[in-house]
Amino acid sequence: MSNNYFNTLPLREQLEQLAKCRFMDISEFPDGVEALKGKKIVVIGCGAQGLAQGMNLRDSGCDVSYTLRQAAIDEKRQSWKSATENGFTVGTYEELIPTADVVLNLTPDKQHTAVVNAIMPLMKQGACLSYSHGFNIVEEGMKIRDDLTVIMVAPKCPGSEVRNEYVRGFGVPTLIAVHEDNDPKGEGLALAKAYAVGTGGHKAGVLMSSFIAEVKSDLMGEQTILCGMLQTGSLLCFDKMIEEGIDAGYASKLIQYGWETITEALKYGGVTNMLDRLSNPAKIKCFDLAEELKQIMRPLYNKHQDDIINGTFSRVMMEDWANDDVNLLGWRAETAETAFEKTPAGDVEISEQEYFDNGILMVAMVKAGVELAFETMTAAGIIADSAYYESLHETPLIANTIARKKLYEMNATISDTAEYGCYLYNHACLPLLADFMKDIKTDVIGKGLKLDDLGVDNARLIEVNAELRAHPVEAIGTVLRGHMADMKKIV
Amino acid sequence: MTLSHPIRFDDLTVNFDDRFQLNHINWQIEPQQHWVITGTNGAGKSALAAVLTGAGDIVSGTLDGIAPSAGITPRVGLVSFEAQAVLIETERKKDDADIMDVISEGTPVYEILFEDCQDIALAKELADKFDLTKLLDRSFRKLSTGESRKVMLIRALASKPDLLVLDEPFDGLDTHSLAMLQAHLQTLIKTVPMVMVLNRFDEFPEFITHIAYIDQGQLQLQVQRDDATAFDELYKLLHLKTTDLTVPAPDPDTQTPALNPGEPLVRLTDLTIKYDDKKIIDRLNWTVEPNQHWQLSGPNGSGKTGLLSIINGDHPQCYVNDIFVFGFKRGSGESIWQIKQFIGYVSTALQWEYKGTTGLRNVILSGFHDSNGLYTRCTDRQKTIANEWLALLGMSDRGDEIFSKLSYGDQRLLLIARAMVKHPPLLILDEPCLGLDDMNRQMVLALIEKICAGSGISVIYVNHHPEDKIKGIENYISLG
Ligand SMILES: NC(=O)c1ccc[n+]([C@@H]2O[C@H](COP(=O)([O-])OP(=O)(O)OC[C@H]3O[C@@H](n4cnc5c(N)ncnc54)[C@H](OP(=O)(O)O)[C@@H]3O)[C@@H](O)[C@H]2O)c1
Repeated sequence: MSNNYFNTLPLREQLEQLAKCRFMDISEFPDGVEALKGKKIVVIGCGAQGLAQGMNLRDSGCDVSYTLRQAAIDEKRQSWKSATENGFTVGTYEELIPTADVVLNLTPDKQHTAVVNAIMPLMKQGACLSYSHGFNIVEEGMKIRDDLTVIMVAPKCPGSEVRNEYVRGFGVPTLIAVHEDNDPKGEGLALAKAYAVGTGGHKAGVLMSSFIAEVKSDLMGEQTILCGMLQTGSLLCFDKMIEEGIDAGYASKLIQYGWETITEALKYGGVTNMLDRLSNPAKIKCFDLAEELKQIMRPLYNKHQDDIINGTFSRVMMEDWANDDVNLLGWRAETAETAFEKTPAGDVEISEQEYFDNGILMVAMVKAGVELAFETMTAAGIIADSAYYESLHETPLIANTIARKKLYEMNATISDTAEYGCYLYNHACLPLLADFMKDIKTDVIGKGLKLDDLGVDNARLIEVNAELRAHPVEAIGTVLRGHMADMKKIV
Repeated sequence: MTLSHPIRFDDLTVNFDDRFQLNHINWQIEPQQHWVITGTNGAGKSALAAVLTGAGDIVSGTLDGIAPSAGITPRVGLVSFEAQAVLIETERKKDDADIMDVISEGTPVYEILFEDCQDIALAKELADKFDLTKLLDRSFRKLSTGESRKVMLIRALASKPDLLVLDEPFDGLDTHSLAMLQAHLQTLIKTVPMVMVLNRFDEFPEFITHIAYIDQGQLQLQVQRDDATAFDELYKLLHLKTTDLTVPAPDPDTQTPALNPGEPLVRLTDLTIKYDDKKIIDRLNWTVEPNQHWQLSGPNGSGKTGLLSIINGDHPQCYVNDIFVFGFKRGSGESIWQIKQFIGYVSTALQWEYKGTTGLRNVILSGFHDSNGLYTRCTDRQKTIANEWLALLGMSDRGDEIFSKLSYGDQRLLLIARAMVKHPPLLILDEPCLGLDDMNRQMVLALIEKICAGSGISVIYVNHHPEDKIKGIENYISLG
């Protein structure tokens, strides 16, 4: 039975680990991939992250090969095809793990215990084991052999972006960490930095953090604002529009592409810019709705964060793992049957601005979700930088998946852990917002305010603008986006 | 009398003493139109104008509207350097041919002006305006170039022409005479169609209705003056073709490492690319030496783009082949950025993928880092170089515009500048004219020619349109 690592630590250390997070400047990576030169990297698993990271590392001059479970090789599964077609050596654990200086475990989190138990005895004395998510170490308390170095390099983007941004000559923001219990030679940080360079992460910004901070913030972000809020919001907004007699095709399209469009504004200029895209009366309306939503949903966000911190969430989810994912699969099927999911987007023209004007409630939901997630995380001791990446920064990336193929695509793309948490959130949030939704009309979802007179009270507008800009997620967002904007807007 | 019928060139090929040939010209000049013929030096502008005066031997095709028909021969007034040269030469010959002891004074100006003149009054008036009256008794061959040009002009204008062909009429005129001439031409626009050869866009008179662009003896483009977009593009094309601007210098601070001159740039040994079990390229051997230009061709799907991306490092199968590029054996610990620094790359795919929100200057600057989008700080010197490239493209004042807002052809030009900004030893152009209209094709080819002619850069040029030839390519490889 697993043993929650976080819960074994004294409070003092828990707090210290949660608060670990520092933005590293590109000047802190002068050695490039040097620490990995001459080392043999073996990647376990060739899925979304495995393929992207391995290709980047190889293109950066590293020696990369893949090991897959026997069945994947024998059956020539997609993972085997991806690796071989891209010209990598593929071998069994027995063939490759003993030769590896660095092993990248890029299998699904759910499989980590089995995978790590299988490969650990085969690993070279003094080698390094790396993760892209710390769940196995933190929530399952996996004990790694004392002679092995354990690090984490976690790109804050889906695998496809990891590869595409590298090819462009850039990278994606990346979190690195060293598991302090497993750093026998003190080389963990050097290896993690070189690995981040090898995947291009150093160009987009690296956060030096801890396994614990990564896990507790990543789980929180993904199940609340990133996936949960978008799923609940999609279902509620769609049903409301149908109830109000709006054309189903239009409603479906407004939501499917609306999240992507409005969060694009979020990506460039934070919550402030997203709301600045609305007319003044709409902005004030949206602000008020978001305040109301925040008040209603705050206990839910707190509960999610508490369950994540004290390990309840992972325990319950792991029970489902042990029970053949009965809950997860049931909820997945349930989602597929929702009216929103089953109504195809209509063949109607919706302009970029119209997504804002007719989707005031959606904007309010994104604002409320981002701010609540950020507030809850920082209240739990997670540093603002980390909380920003796990909430606001990733929202547009998840919204893109909904634009592609609705909730199905979102849930297929995100990890099982995120998906599981998303359903938990959704189940709790739908009834929570039932009363609130009763008062919602098409002026805030579907048709827009349609005002002839856009006049507003000056004092009120000034107040709203000031509050928007004063939120702490805006302050850190300005700094972190600045790092990237600086690079883009060189002149 | 004015022209009552259009002048029609129908697939006309005209030979000029085997020195030059105009090929397959299709062109129509309507009575109410005024044309400018433009193009680079040697493109055939003057030849085309001269055809209107009956010059050259028609090889094939037909020319209607200026030959005598129904007993009337349309009169064509001509001013050109060639005609002026002929007249001067004839005068000089008269001198030489003089076997008598008397030294010939040559033909006086008044004789040249008024003999065969249709409108003596006008000729006199113009001579007065052009300040020639006091020179009427002088020998024609004693006139300065400018003065003899004025004589030519008066002769043409006072000939009651049905068509005026004016080849660079403004060249060598002083401001006063220029203004006078322009004012006079203005009085003719209702009655006499004009065809002018002019190189400078700012000299185009207001009344010009059409522009013909000629290159390498072919009438490549016909543009209406009031089509603002096309007019603007033609301007840029001509700018590229005619300005003496050389390709901006490289940045001394970001020189690529020196290559061993004895080694090939690229050596592929038994290259095989396969998808599933289908071999796209089967055991290809190819070596590109420094300073060699190559044209690569082959039908769709023959692996051209795959081959190029193997060289460029973008194709994953470069790690399972025997590939030597720029001193590296692939898969020996080099990074793709170490390879890309030696290559400038232009392709349609790159254009599609290029980050739309990047400003034009930054697109060029991104070439220093081989990135799609700009993520690294650039030096002032690099920015200056980028500005020089913008100037070369005729986009000086547009550096802050957004790439995605540009026309397709302009985007292509910009990506070529991006590829060239670092002066790579190898420039790869994968169908650089694909999807471009005539005008933009001309522009792109003009820019590439400028580059090829320049420095010690090797070019690999992919295309399957024989008409998009680039001067100076001497090696050919064909796939599939
Ligand atoms: N996706 C993201 O956005 C993201 C972002 C940051 C970090 N991460 C982390 O990256 C890691 C990998 O996630 P992913 O999304 O890349 O996973 P994925 O796409 O599902 O790929 C998993 C790979 O592991 C193999 N695999 C599955 N079960 C296995 C087992 N029992 N033993 C051995 N191999 C097995 C699969 O191949 P076969 O089934 O063919 O064997 C597949 O190639 C996770 O730790 C995740 O948290 C993901």
